[in-house]
Amino acid sequence: MWGTEWPRYEVIKQDTEKSVPQMVGSVHATDPEHALLVARHVFVRRPSAYALFVAPAEAFFHVSQEGFKDLKAEEEGQEEPYWVFAKRSHRRSMVYGDLVGRFLAKGPQGAVLEALLQTPGVAFWAVPERVVVGTEPKEEVIESWFAPAKDKTYRLQSYYGLITAKEERHA
Amino acid sequence: MVKLRIGYPEDPDYQERLAEFEERIARGEKIEPGDWMPAEYRRQLIRMISQHAHSEWVGMLPEGAWITRAPSLRRKLILLAKVQDEAGHGQYLYHAAETLGITREEMVEALLSGKAKYSNIFNYPTLTWADVGIIGWLVDGMAIKNQTMLAQCSYGPYSRAMVRICAEETFHHKQGKEAVLLYARGSKKQRQMVQDALNRWWWPTLMMAGPHDTDSPHTPLLLRWGIKTKTNDQVRQEFLNEHVPELLDAGLTIPDPDLRYDEKTGNWIHGPIPWDDFWKVINGEGPMNRHRLMARRRAHEEGRWVREAMEAYARRKLAQAAD
Repeated sequence: MWGTEWPRYEVIKQDTEKSVPQMVGSVHATDPEHALLVARHVFVRRPSAYALFVAPAEAFFHVSQEGFKDLKAEEEGQEEPYWVFAKRSHRRSMVYGDLVGRFLAKGPQGAVLEALLQTPGVAFWAVPERVVVGTEPKEEVIESWFAPAKDKTYRLQSYYGLITAKEERHA
Repeated sequence: MVKLRIGYPEDPDYQERLAEFEERIARGEKIEPGDWMPAEYRRQLIRMISQHAHSEWVGMLPEGAWITRAPSLRRKLILLAKVQDEAGHGQYLYHAAETLGITREEMVEALLSGKAKYSNIFNYPTLTWADVGIIGWLVDGMAIKNQTMLAQCSYGPYSRAMVRICAEETFHHKQGKEAVLLYARGSKKQRQMVQDALNRWWWPTLMMAGPHDTDSPHTPLLLRWGIKTKTNDQVRQEFLNEHVPELLDAGLTIPDPDLRYDEKTGNWIHGPIPWDDFWKVINGEGPMNRHRLMARRRAHEEGRWVREAMEAYARRKLAQAAD
């Protein structure tokens, strides 16, 4: 069906109930369910998580600063909700896009233009909500999906309480 | 390999766009996947990121060999988590390379066919348990120096992968240091074992930073475009200044008779690096080159039925959904 390479899914991670979902990277998988499982292994081996979402990489519209001036809201087609993500600065970071919100639009460019009214940014991504699949925000799901990583031996650096050989010799 | 035909010097607007691109880098902006970039910037990044990804991927092997032989359950858990991290790091990096237009399939093929390079350090064998400690402290220690530098990289996806990786490598470094210090003050046998590991890994570790600046033709361009922010020799020096005093304090002997501290600069100066050995190993004559590739090919083959089963399952689900 795909040769030797499975389709790529973008992965969106929400750290806590109150935090903003963020784009963290991508995985290859056969379907969204598989993508969520792989995403847990790749992106939640140690950090806290409340929810994970995936959507096919090809469904994302991406525009960076250079392309803002060419954005044009689509006029044809059905209006539908889009998730729009923004990268707001060039600072060093582990994540790229923060979710700005859901925007009703006839196409991704229109959705990004709506988001631009709310927040400045150096790059934007938009994806139709209908292709986004996520883990359920139920307590038992969160517990079984994300709690094990938090109890892991070796999780925190402070686990080692390391003092250098020098300090020890002089102690 | 890369199908995009933009950013070549023969393009009519190349000079103008190059000037804009270099101004963006000078302002400290990160270049993102859809942005204009010189074809050579793209090519150098694909080369570096894919080699880096392969290194993480092959890097699972020397340590993975010790999972079944770890001396305690605690050490086994730590090692399992570490090897799993390396697999994850490979994934972050392959993803970063994919944003430049190369496919995962092309990269895996280049690795398995022996065409692609990976870090030479993984072509050496892990002979004792002490090697696992030394790899964590020194090999990962050098990797962190390099990766902290690359976290400043001008290409957004590579920089982000590096920030993520550095956060996890710090654990690897600490567990290795803890294991080595424990052996260094342990029984005579343990001290001998850890000294022997240090003797074997010292020079290959110093070589990890790459050839001297005078022998590294890519460096000036990589620095100009902010792909690298420090030279090979600078990275090596940072590693020495941090690790030499700690190794000596642990009572270990560094196998370099010419190693000395330079009062004036505050730097530890190493003796001549045995580069002949480096070139021999990197060109395929190392003790483990064939074995590493064989292991990766075998893993790829043995995983084939899983990939096929996943694909059959997905195909059936799609067919059911269509009904």
